[in-house]
Amino acid sequence: MANETVLICEDSLDGVFTGIYEAYRFKKDNAVESHDLIHLAVKEPSAQRLFTDYINIETSPEKAAKVSRTLKKSLGETTYHNLCLAASATFEEKADAVYHTVVLGLKEHDANVLDRLYDSYVQSAFKCYRAAGNEANHFIEFTRFSELDNGILYAKISAKHHVLPFVMYHFADRLPANNFVIYDEAAQTFGLHPSFKAWYLAQGMNFDENSINYSDTEKEYQELFKRFCSSIAIEERKNLSLQQSLLPLRFRPNMTEFHV
Amino acid sequence: MQLLESTSVELYNPQRKSIMEKLSILTDAAKYDVACTSSGVERAGNGRDMGNCKAAGICHSFSSDGRCISLLKILMSNECVYDCKYCANRRSNDIERATFTPDEICELTINFYKRNYIEGLFLSSGIVNNPSYTMELLYVTLYKLRHEYRFRGYIHVKGIPGADAALIRQTGYLADRMSVNLELPTAESLERLAPNKHRKTILTPMRQIQNGIEQGKNELALYKNAPTFVPAGQSTQMIIGATPESDYQIMSVAEGLYDKFGLKRVFYSAYVGINEDKELPAPQTASPLLREHRLYQADWLLRFYRFRVDELLSEKRPNFNILLDPKCDWALRHLEQFPVEINKADYSMLLRVPGVGVKSAQRICKARRSGVLCFDDLKKMGVVLKRALYFITCGGRMMYNTKLDEDYITRNLLSAQEKLPFDKDGITYKQLSLFDCVGQL
Ligand code: SF4
Repeated sequence: MANETVLICEDSLDGVFTGIYEAYRFKKDNAVESHDLIHLAVKEPSAQRLFTDYINIETSPEKAAKVSRTLKKSLGETTYHNLCLAASATFEEKADAVYHTVVLGLKEHDANVLDRLYDSYVQSAFKCYRAAGNEANHFIEFTRFSELDNGILYAKISAKHHVLPFVMYHFADRLPANNFVIYDEAAQTFGLHPSFKAWYLAQGMNFDENSINYSDTEKEYQELFKRFCSSIAIEERKNLSLQQSLLPLRFRPNMTEFHV
Repeated sequence: MQLLESTSVELYNPQRKSIMEKLSILTDAAKYDVACTSSGVERAGNGRDMGNCKAAGICHSFSSDGRCISLLKILMSNECVYDCKYCANRRSNDIERATFTPDEICELTINFYKRNYIEGLFLSSGIVNNPSYTMELLYVTLYKLRHEYRFRGYIHVKGIPGADAALIRQTGYLADRMSVNLELPTAESLERLAPNKHRKTILTPMRQIQNGIEQGKNELALYKNAPTFVPAGQSTQMIIGATPESDYQIMSVAEGLYDKFGLKRVFYSAYVGINEDKELPAPQTASPLLREHRLYQADWLLRFYRFRVDELLSEKRPNFNILLDPKCDWALRHLEQFPVEINKADYSMLLRVPGVGVKSAQRICKARRSGVLCFDDLKKMGVVLKRALYFITCGGRMMYNTKLDEDYITRNLLSAQEKLPFDKDGITYKQLSLFDCVGQL
């Protein structure tokens, strides 16, 4: 029985893509028979398996960029976008799923590789990109900005998956002139968009929410929106459980209309 | 006084209402209009102005009745010279009245939009003075919003029946969606409940908008920078349950509107009793929410599942089955067409299998090109097996040893319970959603 190898990469988009790069190189250098004998993981396993080698991979933005380019070129923008979403999910199996989906797609020259849902790797990549995609959509819907006294729009979210880049991308297109900041509390990451410039992510910033000063009209607009939400509801159709299934409680702490 | 009229200076008026008061009154007055989607147009940002549009539409919140909040849905004014019997704003009602200025609406829209409260504006109005005057108010507001406030988000505006055709046309160039409400399913009902409105005056602007959309497409093909006319299409709505029409009549009207007027959406609004009137159901009559739900499900079948009304209902069976959704109901009456082999059946047949939605049917068609599907795969693709299993085979086999028998399947489907958007404790079918997605039928 041939030994299996697990490459352990960093839990980030660049980490996973570097992992894919290294997996291909490892296969070539060691003349490994099949990609099936190589796996990617974003975490050390809790118990190491027998006949399995574990190798830690160091993230390299250059190698990751090479992989991005290849994927975009060979699999097309849509599939590339969905693979990125899959890689941003927080499921442990995501790195291996993305890696083996890429292997299948490149082998079959199939830009629609994600449609091959009979394949178990594709199934798990599908699960990952659907979960991350749904969450990104939720934040596109439910993120609420407040206006600060210097005109900056500020929002706080708390995401399960690493979807902040997808959310930033959406708002940068929508509010090109505005300075805005989205803070993902869970990942302690800021997305920053300076007026008419490219957005970027930042970590480790010194930031105290309590020291924020809001603009003069901020409170008024919050109250107006709350009033709007209560006036638009039809009393005869009141249905709180339906509301809750469509707008889960976990989003509400950061949503203006649910603040008392 | 002349000087004052020509400037924007406002005279002191003790009855002047605050924005908060106006917003309360004019939101409350608009809430029975059911269309709140922001779908149908994809427009990327231009790198300068505020706003873009997503084809699928975006919901921003859900109100306590479980309906989606996507647009700032308000009336320009709830003053009205008409006297429609079913409407709270009718002339003969003694209620508080208010009117927004165009700038107030623009400020609200922009400030709500940049905070990501809304996807855009839904603007309707009572009839102030006359239809053309009202249409002009709407036009001026949209013009300001697009050109002075440079707003690129979604706008849905009402076309006012009887208004000058040129005004409707101009407004159409500023809006993404326009709708003219049919109000009631038949001309007779309309005459009875809305004496100032006539079927013909409603259908005229509908036809005009349809032609405008067609013409707009041609212009766009000729001149790349031609302004788009109502790019997200036209919709309408009917009130259900205030008048005696059957589901068959209502759905036939809807089908006619889709076929002949090219409508994007028809909305159904379960009547809520507001006014005491001998022509109307008593105000305490429960709103026909389950019926409305069945109509939405059937509407979905017309638009996405390639069904025709005559397949679902007939003169002899004029109303939907209360216990089963229209698709299950149809399948049970056509068992001779089942079971369907998932690995072979064509797309339109897959669409007719209960528990298989549009997305899963598409996924099945794509996936089976390069492999053979089993039941487990179907589940991962989003097929609701507990409904589908009676109607399908995978590789020639049924999932369990089930019988292809109407009573047997009906019993099983009913015990599996359809997921209705009702309150958990409300077994009375009282609560229903107007949420755009009726989900997997
Ligand atoms: S026209 Fe009829 S439905 Fe519209 S606001 Fe006036 S009374 Fe109400």
